[in-house]
Amino acid sequence: MKDGRFLTLGIETSCDETAASVVADGRFVMSNVISSQIDIHTAYGGVVPEIASRKHLERVNDVIGKALSDADVTAKDIDLIGVTYGPGLVGALLIGVAAAKAMAYACDIPLVGVNHMHGHIAANYLEHHELEPPFMALIVSGGHTEIVNVPAYNKCEKLGGTRDDAAGEAFDKIARVIGLSYPGGPKIDKAAKEGDPESIAFKRVYLEPGSLDFSFSGLKTQALNYLNQERQAGREIRVNDVAASFQEAVVEVIADKAVMAAEKYGQKQIVMAGGVASNTRLRALIEEKAAVKGIAVLKPSPVLCTDNGAMIASAAYYAYKNGEEPTLELDAVPGLEF
Amino acid sequence: MNILAIETTGKYGSASVIKETGEVFSAISTEEMNHLKGMMILIDEAIREAGIDKSELTHIAASVGPGSFTGIRIGVVTARVMAQMLGLPCISVSSLEAMAERVLDAAVSAGSLYVVPVINARRHQTYAGVWEAEFTSDYEQKTLCAVMEEKQYMIEDLLAALSSKIAELEAEASGRAQSLKDMLGNAVFFTGDGIDAYKEIIESSLPDGLYTFAGEELRYQHAESVARIALRKAKADRVLSYNELMPEYMRLAEAEQRLKAGTLSDRIRKPVQI
Ligand SMILES: Nc1ncnc2c1ncn2[C@@H]1O[C@H](COP(=O)(O)OP(=O)(O)O)[C@@H](O)[C@H]1O
Ligand SMILES: [Mg+2]
Repeated sequence: MKDGRFLTLGIETSCDETAASVVADGRFVMSNVISSQIDIHTAYGGVVPEIASRKHLERVNDVIGKALSDADVTAKDIDLIGVTYGPGLVGALLIGVAAAKAMAYACDIPLVGVNHMHGHIAANYLEHHELEPPFMALIVSGGHTEIVNVPAYNKCEKLGGTRDDAAGEAFDKIARVIGLSYPGGPKIDKAAKEGDPESIAFKRVYLEPGSLDFSFSGLKTQALNYLNQERQAGREIRVNDVAASFQEAVVEVIADKAVMAAEKYGQKQIVMAGGVASNTRLRALIEEKAAVKGIAVLKPSPVLCTDNGAMIASAAYYAYKNGEEPTLELDAVPGLEF
Repeated sequence: MNILAIETTGKYGSASVIKETGEVFSAISTEEMNHLKGMMILIDEAIREAGIDKSELTHIAASVGPGSFTGIRIGVVTARVMAQMLGLPCISVSSLEAMAERVLDAAVSAGSLYVVPVINARRHQTYAGVWEAEFTSDYEQKTLCAVMEEKQYMIEDLLAALSSKIAELEAEASGRAQSLKDMLGNAVFFTGDGIDAYKEIIESSLPDGLYTFAGEELRYQHAESVARIALRKAKADRVLSYNELMPEYMRLAEAEQRLKAGTLSDRIRKPVQI
């Protein structure tokens, strides 16, 4: 407690970002420290779990220390610690979990584990202080493409998800074959701005009528075949057009399904989350489609879309206030379900 | 002085508190590879057993490896963050040295000259080191003196090095009346899970009667011997800040090895050409 505000420290190490943040009353970001390892993993073309784990260990103390000092508080002021315990890379997760437990024990602070995906949704509470459930959530990230109904703070019902690649993964893979470096999502977004989205007719995969699931592997194959054909015919690949057309095929289906889900469950708001929620075209298209149906679209600013500790702190706050039992026996659960 | 020692580099995690007098209080996990889930409970138990409050701790020590990478990290992170939050210095202890410390009395009683902890790193690889028991002039106290570098050895290379050490001793002994057997009886005292993995290779490489295997009750890592080494280091003021406490993996990550060797698969290193 400081100045009458309940302070939560959030810790996140599920993939390649070592992050910690202090959040007041579950809503107000007082500090948000993110130490990214992207520069290190780029040499390998993707995240190397063993290296990620080693780097998290070297950085976690300073990241936590800076989160406290940036917020102008000390460990004694912290009322609750929240830490991501899954899903994610097991070796990476356990650094955050072990650090959180050591701090909770040393300073006598209650600790709750947070589902990383709940954290992504909670990022919106930090951005939109008046937002409350119920709403429909759309989580689009490197590992996830999910539509989730959120009837209450501590309830999440998964309605649909990807049957193969996640949206971010599809972006990253196509980016790689057209020569854009890891992570490719933001680079596709940028390249697409100078391209024609209708220049190549990539398919839109909707699956069975009414389905809220996704599949991007067929689209990925189609794009690879297209690139192969063009190269064999000796034609130069127009990177901007491929990026724009591929991106359009991905985000159109996502936007349609998110709006369909909100309508079906009578939700008046769609809340976006995850790294791909930063995609400028997805943001524009989903707003356009939702507006027609009188549905509002909320999204966090890009810094809260990627992995961060603040979203974990907010999710921890609401879990704790809704009766989640603190525990010092927390374990990492790499395959944690919704 | 109340030092908390953490050991998570082997199969069973443990925590000990040692007092200035050398009295040790310990808690060890009964479940294999339960380090993450169980560590704070073990630490709390050891602190309670010692009859102190965590605010009375003076140092945090950790066994920093070699051993299981994941295990090493759990112990080191726990120690680093506890030290940071409690404002205490850290002490770094080698898992191998602690394993040697654990069997020192047994090795001396068996008449061994060399204490050799061997950790199984699979595919004939080990992490190992070789120590001699050293006595203070009054023969009252024994302590360890490293005679071969702690590092990664192929089991065959380690055994060859030990054989040549023994051969040197034999040459020395041949000029004396003393029987060889008397001087070299059980010359080598092995400990660690390397015994479980490479027992047959050891048995077929070294002459019978020249080595002994540690009993199972002493063979594996335990925070108690980490604590004893930590106490000596604390008294000698060999302490670190929490940020200086680092794992001793003794091995690069596999991807890093391959990047350095230039054998990282092209598929993941370069954009794919089709
Ligand atoms: N502007 C963007 N357009 C498309 N994809 C993006 C954009 N920004 C980030 N991404 C993608 O988001 C993913 C990372 O998001 P993140 O939430 O950190 O994923 P995860 O935690 O599942 O790995 C990467 O696949 C990245 O390419
Ligand atoms: Mg994420």
